[in-house]
Amino acid sequence: MAFNNAQASGSAPPPRYQAGIAGWIRENLFSSRFNGSLTVITAALLLLAAWFCLRWVLLTADWSVIATIGGGFFIGQYNTELACPGQNCFWRPQAGLLLVTLLLGMAWGVVGRVGMQVALAVGIVSAALAFLPYDMESMGPDVRILLIANLPVVFAGWALVRYTSLVTVQRLVIAGVIVFLLILVLLRGLPGVPGMQPVSVIHWGGLTLNLLLAVAGIVLSLPIGIALALGRRSNLPIVKLLCVVFIEIFRGVPLITLLFMSQVLVPLAFPEDFPQNSVFRAAVIITLFSSAYMAENIRGGLQALSRGQVEAARALGLAGWQTTLLIELPQAIRNVIPAIVGQFIALFKDTSLVYIIGMLDVVEIGRAFIQGNPEYLGNARELFIFLAIVFWIFTYSMSYVSGRIEEHMGVGRR
Amino acid sequence: MMRNLTYQGIPIWRHAQVIQWASQIVSGILVVVLVAWFFINIGSAIAERNIPYGFSFLSRGYQTPIGQHFLPYKSSDTFQYALFVAFTNTLVVSIIGVILATALGIVVGVARMSSNWLVAKMAAVYVEFFRNVPLLVQLFFWFYIVLALPPVREGYVVAGNVYVNNAGVSVPFPSPGRGDAALIWLALAAAAIALGFVAHRMMSRREEQMGIASYPVVYGCVVAVVGGAVAWFVVMVTIGTAPLVISIPAPEGAFGRIAGGFTGSAGLLALLVGLIIYTSSFIAEIVRAGIQSVNRGQIEAARALGLAPMATLRNVTFPQALRVIIPPLISQYLNLTKNSSLAGAIGYSDLTNVAKTMTQTAPAVSIFVLIMLSYLALSLAYSLIGNLYNRHIRFAGG
Repeated sequence: MAFNNAQASGSAPPPRYQAGIAGWIRENLFSSRFNGSLTVITAALLLLAAWFCLRWVLLTADWSVIATIGGGFFIGQYNTELACPGQNCFWRPQAGLLLVTLLLGMAWGVVGRVGMQVALAVGIVSAALAFLPYDMESMGPDVRILLIANLPVVFAGWALVRYTSLVTVQRLVIAGVIVFLLILVLLRGLPGVPGMQPVSVIHWGGLTLNLLLAVAGIVLSLPIGIALALGRRSNLPIVKLLCVVFIEIFRGVPLITLLFMSQVLVPLAFPEDFPQNSVFRAAVIITLFSSAYMAENIRGGLQALSRGQVEAARALGLAGWQTTLLIELPQAIRNVIPAIVGQFIALFKDTSLVYIIGMLDVVEIGRAFIQGNPEYLGNARELFIFLAIVFWIFTYSMSYVSGRIEEHMGVGRR
Repeated sequence: MMRNLTYQGIPIWRHAQVIQWASQIVSGILVVVLVAWFFINIGSAIAERNIPYGFSFLSRGYQTPIGQHFLPYKSSDTFQYALFVAFTNTLVVSIIGVILATALGIVVGVARMSSNWLVAKMAAVYVEFFRNVPLLVQLFFWFYIVLALPPVREGYVVAGNVYVNNAGVSVPFPSPGRGDAALIWLALAAAAIALGFVAHRMMSRREEQMGIASYPVVYGCVVAVVGGAVAWFVVMVTIGTAPLVISIPAPEGAFGRIAGGFTGSAGLLALLVGLIIYTSSFIAEIVRAGIQSVNRGQIEAARALGLAPMATLRNVTFPQALRVIIPPLISQYLNLTKNSSLAGAIGYSDLTNVAKTMTQTAPAVSIFVLIMLSYLALSLAYSLIGNLYNRHIRFAGG
């Protein structure tokens, strides 16, 4: 109709209003009759769902289960009478947290914006935990002070970088390794040192355990994965065979099966009085499992590299190992950063599987609590929604940081 | 003294190939020795501590109940049969999960590409949330939702025949009729479906060669359905019983337990819902990447030729996107299958869970070997089907 009218009068119809909010709404929500009805239906469903969710969250839901478990989410059974008899051990994981926030503060000074976002977020959240109405007095009077201290420590770390030249990138990496080992010592304790009573690893738990396993796995699975990927692509038949067998075995079997079988079989391979460390075993299995997947990601990156790069490097006189380390790997890894971070996220999520070997990680501590206290059975929904949000915050931050890194390195652009 | 100027070749310890082979042989021997040391130690520990070993346990009675199972099973059955039942439990979850997760994943993936802002954002939130939360947490969430339902006697009854309570969901389900009727009918029906495929092939060849619209899919389906119906009739007449009868669930006994029909236990329901939602969020991303990989010109050309948006998606975008989608999709199917091993946490008897129980009464090493082979077989099966399909679409597309 409109077309005919325009034809008749010899001029085009006026253009539809395209700018501003109204234009945006028309463009993105009501561009056609189908789209318009889709918008209306979706919006109606969304409002309905939001109404029910809000009513549930505010009125029906009983979040007391979260408060009751409280510090258990962070350290599991670490501070119970069973793990740490006759002493208050809660300060030890907290001192570990302080070391981490110090490190994050320094990372803020070195890296810049992304570092600031992460460091401030961790510092503020840790400090805010001190103001929650939990029964923290039973954990010792210093608990709240140690928690609040996280925020100034972040700034102290930042200031250390800003106003001194003590911290460089290399030193920060070394400091990271030292902090990790220090945290392990803090948690494990030292026999004979007052206040550092040894705590068996079977009592480690909560989010601390998830994070320890994840950090160890993330740091170690990348180099092992690179080695496996290179081995799989090498033209040395025996090395190649070993790598292929390793990768395919670890990729072919579920992690949970590997964890469980390691718990059954590994003790058999050592003398009966050999000290067994379930956390170490879990860390090894998770790392090896993840490195098998990592190897395939990196192999993908290596395969996608144009042959000309290698040929140019060889033509310039670089040796084989130089070509691999300086030309191939940096480009290959840069191109598969999204896949690598995806694998890191998967690894972090997989740390929740240690329940199979009886470790009380953050998920299992909640589930065990519900199993042990049937009066909370009806509150399982609240508990698992809380856990989902906790994990989501960590994993989403990981993908956010990786997104910034990709932007910085120009992945997808050339 | 006269210096010897003749070329003597590279000394053997600096010869590249010698070094390569020597280091390879050394590393190979090292790995073999380590692995051998591990298993010899296990072997001696087994001998010392009087732990049973070998595969003779397979023909012994398992003596342990299995919660939900799709094949008939009783506690007196042997280990090997129990393992097979557990394997089918994993297989059923895997197949149902793969089909539904693919369907949901495609819907969400396409929704994420929608030009409608609200729909696209909702799909994005769905993906970002479910992908980033551990499957275990999601499984527990769904599991405890089913457990929080009212007990069996006070459960809901939907549409008269569907019972919903904290033991799970019971629905009417076909069960085999008297004797071998069901088996015979299934064999005949399989033949009918094969015949349907032949008809489909003949008709599509006719369409290709003669250019006459022959509706191959319609013909194929009609042949298969008519064949199945004829087989049903033949079985009814010759054996005198329907091959399948619909079994309707109903409360039974003093405790009102639901008998008959098919009951999906809380574990099975939670496992399926959790796996489908979790995997679909990954599949949605794969579908999106596949659609984005299709050249924009293809879509513009299709639209210029007058194809509707839906027709463009179905006939132009999707067939081309499939080539990018299939390989990562297969790896998601494998992930789903492997992730189903979390079933033990919510009380569903999958392969890993049953194997875990078995290690209490049977040699762990042997069970580990069997489990590994089972998962390997599943992986190979999926890869094979996927690769065949991949080749099929590649050739069909030219």
